[in-house]
Amino acid sequence: MTTVHPLRPARERGPDDGTCDGAAVAGTDALLEALSRREPVPTADPAIALLAALVDDVDQRRSSVSITPST
Amino acid sequence: MVVRYCRARLGRVSGQYHIADDVAQEVCIAVLSALPRYRDMGRPFASFVFGIASHKVADALRSSVRSAVPTQDLPDGPDDGPGPEETVVRYIEAEHARRLLSRLPDNQRELLILRVVSGLSAEETGNVLGMSPGAVRVAQHRALARLRAMAELESTA
Repeated sequence: MTTVHPLRPARERGPDDGTCDGAAVAGTDALLEALSRREPVPTADPAIALLAALVDDVDQRRSSVSITPST
Repeated sequence: MVVRYCRARLGRVSGQYHIADDVAQEVCIAVLSALPRYRDMGRPFASFVFGIASHKVADALRSSVRSAVPTQDLPDGPDDGPGPEETVVRYIEAEHARRLLSRLPDNQRELLILRVVSGLSAEETGNVLGMSPGAVRVAQHRALARLRAMAELESTA
């Protein structure tokens, strides 16, 4: 049986706190899997938006030739 | 996958990816050179490749080569890429992502780059990093939460 001290709030557990909610973990995995497959993802989440921007930038196929002329 | 990994870690120089692409090429050469010494220890070949890539990227970051690569001729041809405004916006957002990723613990940064940018599955990422797929899923959730917190903190500052 688990008891909670009346003056001490129940411990909030977060992603960095040792345990994770299974549904949240699965949701994150689905989002990252979509990003990994280059499928469109909702970008309301700032972290997902950042990763999507990085993926978009890295995947660009333009020539990497420098435009600096030789001297 | 190696090119994406190097591009994600090293970013652009002078608006181009030539340094990252050169490092990716060095990785491929190093992998070929190391093949005769490769011994199957039960780990996937990808972990061998990305281990080399990680070292090559670290070398490049240490040497901090940040100079333009001169060419004989100016590129001359139609540009079918995005326009200047879109290019700049994309560049700024990608650099923002790199800056925040660089502040993550090494293992979390490596995991997100392999999983998302290099396009590995949770199983493949786990094979490279020596983790179970379940551990990858939990770790990526934590890494994303930390990245989100950093992004939100910056947006409110």
